[in-house]
Amino acid sequence: MSVTDPNAAPMRETAFSVRTRRWRELSATILSNPTTVIGLVIIVALLAMAVFAPWLASPNTPDPYQMPRDWGAVRMPPGTPGHVLGTTNQGGDVFYGVVWGSRTSLQLSIVVVSVTVCIGIAIGSIAGLVGGWVDEALMRIVDVFLSIPELIFALAVAAILGPSFSNIILSLCIVFWVKYARIMRAQIILVRQADYVKAATVIGDSKFNIFRRDILPNAVTPIAVQATLDMGNIVLVGATLSFIGLSESGIAEWGVLVSEGQAGIASGRWWASTFPGLMIFLWALAFNLVGDGLRDALDPRTEGR
Amino acid sequence: MTSIETPTENPTRPAIARVQGLKVHFASKKGPVHAVDGVDFDIADGEMLGLVGETGCGKSVTGRAFLGLIPQPPARIAGGRILFRPRRREDTSEDTPEFRPCPTCKGADIVCATCNGSGYDTLDLLAVKPRTMRAIRGRRIAMIFQDPGKALNPILTIGDQLAEVFLQHASADLLADIGGTGDMGGLAAGAVGRAARQESGRLDGILSRVPPVRGHLRRLRAALEDRIAAALAETQISNPRRVIRSYPHELSGGMRQRVMIAQALACDPDLIIADEPTTALDVTIQAKIMELIKMLQEKRKTSVLYISHDLSLVRRTCDRVVVMYAGRVAEVGGVREVFAAPRHPYTRGLLDAIPRSGETRGVLASIPGTVPELVSPPPGCRFADRCVHVMPECTRVNPTLQPLTPDQSVSCFLAHPPAPGAAHKEPELQET
Amino acid sequence: MNVKVDTDGTVAHQDDAGDVLLSVRNLRKYFPIKDGVLQNVVGHVKAVDGVSFDIRRGETVGLVGESGCGKSTLSGCVSGLTDPTGGSVHFNTRGRGSAHGPLDEGDRIDRMDRATFAKYRRNVQMVFQDNFASLNPRQLVVDIVGRPLRVHGIASGTALQEKVVELLEQVGLGRQHLYRYPHQFSGGQRQRISIARALALDPELIVLDEPTSALDVSVQAQILNLLNDLQAERHLAYLFITHDLSVVRHMADRTITMYLGKVVEEGPTQDLFETPEHPYTKVLLAAKPDLDDDPDVPIQTLAGSIPDPARPPSGCRFHTRCPVATSTCGWEIDDIVRELETREDLFDKLVGVDRKSDLEATLTFSDSAAAHAVWEAIRSDSVPETMRDAIETLDVRDGALMVRFAKPSAIELREVGTGHRAACILAGE
Ligand SMILES: Nc1ncnc2c1ncn2[C@@H]1O[C@H](COP(=O)(O)OP(=O)(O)OP(=O)(O)O)[C@@H](O)[C@H]1O
Ligand SMILES: Nc1ncnc2c1ncn2[C@@H]1O[C@H](COP(=O)(O)OP(=O)(O)O)[C@@H](O)[C@H]1O
Ligand code: SF4
Ligand code: SF4
Ligand SMILES: [Mg+2]
Ligand SMILES: [Mg+2]
Repeated sequence: MSVTDPNAAPMRETAFSVRTRRWRELSATILSNPTTVIGLVIIVALLAMAVFAPWLASPNTPDPYQMPRDWGAVRMPPGTPGHVLGTTNQGGDVFYGVVWGSRTSLQLSIVVVSVTVCIGIAIGSIAGLVGGWVDEALMRIVDVFLSIPELIFALAVAAILGPSFSNIILSLCIVFWVKYARIMRAQIILVRQADYVKAATVIGDSKFNIFRRDILPNAVTPIAVQATLDMGNIVLVGATLSFIGLSESGIAEWGVLVSEGQAGIASGRWWASTFPGLMIFLWALAFNLVGDGLRDALDPRTEGR
Repeated sequence: MTSIETPTENPTRPAIARVQGLKVHFASKKGPVHAVDGVDFDIADGEMLGLVGETGCGKSVTGRAFLGLIPQPPARIAGGRILFRPRRREDTSEDTPEFRPCPTCKGADIVCATCNGSGYDTLDLLAVKPRTMRAIRGRRIAMIFQDPGKALNPILTIGDQLAEVFLQHASADLLADIGGTGDMGGLAAGAVGRAARQESGRLDGILSRVPPVRGHLRRLRAALEDRIAAALAETQISNPRRVIRSYPHELSGGMRQRVMIAQALACDPDLIIADEPTTALDVTIQAKIMELIKMLQEKRKTSVLYISHDLSLVRRTCDRVVVMYAGRVAEVGGVREVFAAPRHPYTRGLLDAIPRSGETRGVLASIPGTVPELVSPPPGCRFADRCVHVMPECTRVNPTLQPLTPDQSVSCFLAHPPAPGAAHKEPELQET
Repeated sequence: MNVKVDTDGTVAHQDDAGDVLLSVRNLRKYFPIKDGVLQNVVGHVKAVDGVSFDIRRGETVGLVGESGCGKSTLSGCVSGLTDPTGGSVHFNTRGRGSAHGPLDEGDRIDRMDRATFAKYRRNVQMVFQDNFASLNPRQLVVDIVGRPLRVHGIASGTALQEKVVELLEQVGLGRQHLYRYPHQFSGGQRQRISIARALALDPELIVLDEPTSALDVSVQAQILNLLNDLQAERHLAYLFITHDLSVVRHMADRTITMYLGKVVEEGPTQDLFETPEHPYTKVLLAAKPDLDDDPDVPIQTLAGSIPDPARPPSGCRFHTRCPVATSTCGWEIDDIVRELETREDLFDKLVGVDRKSDLEATLTFSDSAAAHAVWEAIRSDSVPETMRDAIETLDVRDGALMVRFAKPSAIELREVGTGHRAACILAGE
């Protein structure tokens, strides 16, 4: 009754080696896409910038997230000794802003994405698993949220909360979970009826274990992709909110810097907003490239085939 | 081209299509998958030819190759030809310059031996220009797919979808139906003609409001609906006029498959490729749909390539059958011969695996092992690692398809012992 | 009869007291049809509607029928995946070799205490049709097959691994497959993994929902042989669902034919295949060509399509398609409506149906000509003669048509041979 297996694997295989190989294969697929690699390189560079910020641009104020003011060197063009990228109207060093701004952005995107993903998964799972009127009610709330464009909604919330960077984070958290909840619910409903879930029920496994082992791992892939894309998008939205003045002025944040520098553009002082603007662009681009690569690599039609 | 004697030729009828050494390879992570690897067979004019084999043996790829429906990449046509000789037709308006007249009779002789009276030279379907392929699809060669749900557009009514086929390929007939446009001015006649061909000029929006033009357009629409209803009625669908206005999801699987058949038959094609047309259907209607296809095929003398894995349906409906294994042809022959006396060990195994009445439980004959991987396959017979009769030669040289009787050809060394010492070369498939 | 719980006068089974493992009594499962924004329930799909049967230890019961007739729903109820709307499922949890006691109220799976229900869970396992969808794509074979052992605390660590290897070897796989993902296998191999998982808890009953429908014949033969070997070794009982009659014939000791949520025939496989009593079984048998039949004898086919299970025909549910229907088979008002649906011109003029019962109604038309045309049509050859015979009164007045049908006979499963039952007026004649 034995089946000859032409490519029988060596006996040495262990669960660990197989699982790591799966990750290796997955990363190989991801890395085989040049645009994804470009994105990854940019992300790594930006992360390095955030990590080494104190060494790249040492702070001289008690709060390193505040732009240092050097009133003796306002509106210096790029290339000025001590101010490679020039200075702002208030004598802030643009290079300092660019470097420390990466920390602010990282903080913003990590906090917002992790909070919203958790809320989204929780709400989406409850809606998808419980169903009935609970689902109905939650989805109506989601619909209300979705009917207002994200940016305008976040803007309104941030405006109500008052201008501050932490309020921007809070408002983005309030707005961005909706998308994840919706994706999660759709995924749960799809995965819940898979035969392997039925098989686990027949085996006698508990509902919680089935959720943990069967439903969740098979439902989260699109969330991971969306979260990666949002790591970039959220910085963009956050910068927009900062730009229109919903953040405190004077903090090392790309959006704030662009906003504060734009007044000078007309008089030829392009650098104060161009460099932070470029950073926002790079950040959003990099995460979008990686997110797209991830989506292709995780595509169920091609994965593992 | 010259006529080539292939061992698979149906002795009684001339061929309408001939697959020669077809090779289709798919790029994969592990290397090229030799999905179809040297397939030869003929489809005789007016016959129903079965193509059977296990999942993944290359049946669908072979069928799709006829209509250029193989995605390239990942696929690559690695060799071979599919020769097709269109039938003679009144309406040649859609022929492209690649439809060349028969070199012998120049298209004049209806009893010409070279072209079997069709008047056409053969076309290599793998080499024709996209424009020619478009003229062939639907009009000359039509396809019926396995899943009728996926092949129909969910947002168009059945009538709209069938109308598209008629407007695309049978506009001349439609114009004839409404009595031509002779009594109209050139501009108006042009507008009606364009409507029939599903094009529209900038003026047509205005012209279509001019009473005589509008009348003609209305008649065109009525003629179109009549044709569609007749096409549906032919597939024994009850209440065709209601079906015309239905959306695919409102119909049952069986009805959808009938619509697919009506669509395939709409332009009276020379050849129909039916890829598992009944697999998605219930047992109670599978046989009925096959009988319908068979009946229409006999009535219109169309040729059908019927791809299936249901051997009992093939036995009932087909004239001849091609058995494929792992991208190659194992055996070809008349259904009676092949089913009564299979000569290839694989065909035998396949037939024995089907449970029959009176058989003791638990001892179904099964072919040991599994289908081989088609990534860089080793030389020799593809069936060698599962074959009970395997001989040393089997793993060294490739058995070729050779006639056993006029009605049956087999590719196995049991039937054709390899010539002693002679280095068996792969047959020359690519000729110019 | 060893089942004492017959509710509301369902089929009384007179089988000799075999070693009954599972009994299903008058089982019903209705799915609500929801509509509108408020998701109001507007009707029910009667997927399973009053089904009773027994499975004995070590036997294979085949279940056949067209798609949508309720086979999978029934299998879900039997394996405890779906809660039935009505009726009961009883399971003998006393273990192999227990006294042949009758199954009683205490064996109802929905009334079992926790410990007994856990025993039932262990003893009823399932194999699904879609071999890909039934294995979690993110788990390794060792986790998939070992999971039941872990859940029930039977083994862990290396013991678990060895047990899994043992199970894999039983289904023709081996140690080298432990650390593979499902997508690395062929369809037949995946089905073997499913079977190994089902065997892990050493169950007494395995529900097989079309286990070979997605496989090629040669692979199907391997799986069927495997199932038979396992059955002989472990004295397993199978509920084998399929639409392939040659497979049921090969595998099953007894066969049940379902049509639109009801059992229409049940009996020893050989009897059922050689002397089918129900016209539907006959059609099923005749519709499927097999390799031994005469290709020149045309295949018998069935007219029409399966009626909507939300409004199943009354009387015998098969009467709308039955080639030998009689006048007392359950002709009703809906049959007139169905007839009208095929006559679009007339159907468009139908403005209302005022039902007094399934058998009596007044149909109103927009004009009296239409009513007359319908009256004419119903009395003509275009409707089955037996339907015409069943009409007691047919009056037309202005635009209204009054119809009353005669009361149909009660059609229930009845004995037509030893252990062979059919639900047809003509059965056994
Ligand atoms: N969850 C559900 N909600 C509503 N209707 C359902 C549901 N599940 C099944 N049904 C309906 O119940 C009927 C029986 O379905 P079931 O899946 O049991 O059929 P089956 O006999 O197994 O068919 P197949 O051969 O296609 O698997 C069908 O009409 C189906 O549409
Ligand atoms: N689009 C595709 N990409 C990669 N491989 C393909 C594709 N289509 C078919 N194949 C491969 O070609 C082989 C033959 O497939 P097919 O002709 O569909 O088999 P069947 O005989 O079941 O119809 C299989 O190994 C299949 O995996
Ligand atoms: S050629 Fe050899 S291996 Fe192939 S089928 Fe014939 S005997 Fe078997
Ligand atoms: S009772 Fe028998 S004869 Fe009457 S309709 Fe039903 S199956 Fe046909
Ligand atoms: Mg195919
Ligand atoms: Mg089913």
